[in-house]
Amino acid sequence: MLNKIDGKTTKFTDKELIITRIFNAPRELVWKAWTEPEHLMRWWGPKNFTCPAYKIDFRVGGKYHSCMKSAEGQEYWSTGTYKEIIPLERIVCTDSFADEKGKVVPGSYYGMPTDNWPMEFTITITFEDFGNQTKMTLTHFGIPIGQMKEMTGTGWNESFDKLADSLK
Amino acid sequence: MRRDVFQAIADPNRRAILALLATQLLTLNGIAEKFDISRPAVSKHIKILEQCGLINIKQQGRERYCEVRMERLNEVSDWVEKYRKIWEEKLDALENYLTQLQAKEKKNVK
Repeated sequence: MLNKIDGKTTKFTDKELIITRIFNAPRELVWKAWTEPEHLMRWWGPKNFTCPAYKIDFRVGGKYHSCMKSAEGQEYWSTGTYKEIIPLERIVCTDSFADEKGKVVPGSYYGMPTDNWPMEFTITITFEDFGNQTKMTLTHFGIPIGQMKEMTGTGWNESFDKLADSLK
Repeated sequence: MRRDVFQAIADPNRRAILALLATQLLTLNGIAEKFDISRPAVSKHIKILEQCGLINIKQQGRERYCEVRMERLNEVSDWVEKYRKIWEEKLDALENYLTQLQAKEKKNVK
């Protein structure tokens, strides 16, 4: 599954969202792009978003505070703490919605339909050589997808299949 | 806290009840029999599930049957899908940026 031609893989396992990408760049450069604010600000954010701010205290126990801004001007701040840093190999950090001052806020602050969504996720990013390229794996813990997979009802399986198809 | 589908699935007992109801129609008693936790505790979870809109309770004669509304869980998978999409788009942006960065480096070397 990891060797798909386009180098992109997404899969769901228990309580995790895992995304794997092969980047056509050396590992040092991919690491830099993930860990230095001046690089992060150039790419952080989904399509049509900019990143007007990315503050990092890059050490275990240090925090980041970042902003993604939509084309309409809506800002989405997030924050988290670095739990583990192994240079060029691995970053583990937490991830929460935040306000512009860095205070953790529930998803409802940004229009999520609920206050019951987890307040904090854990993200692990690993970097490996893949020939001359770099394989990056991002694991997002805390999303209750795996828990829902336990529910084996027909209706549920169908919608999960649909989701799986959309990821192919 | 507001009752919604996210709260419904936050508790392992409630997830187990939903999984059970996904394959069969059961009465309140029928559900309670399958759990080690007390009957009042099961009733409480069922009440929360009902308030969260994940089950309907139907009176049939003397029995009350619980029916699961699986379609409500789509709300959760929709959000997970949004999360995935955001990450995919971010990583697309990273991919483009890395390409640009290396093109620039090459140019500078020349």
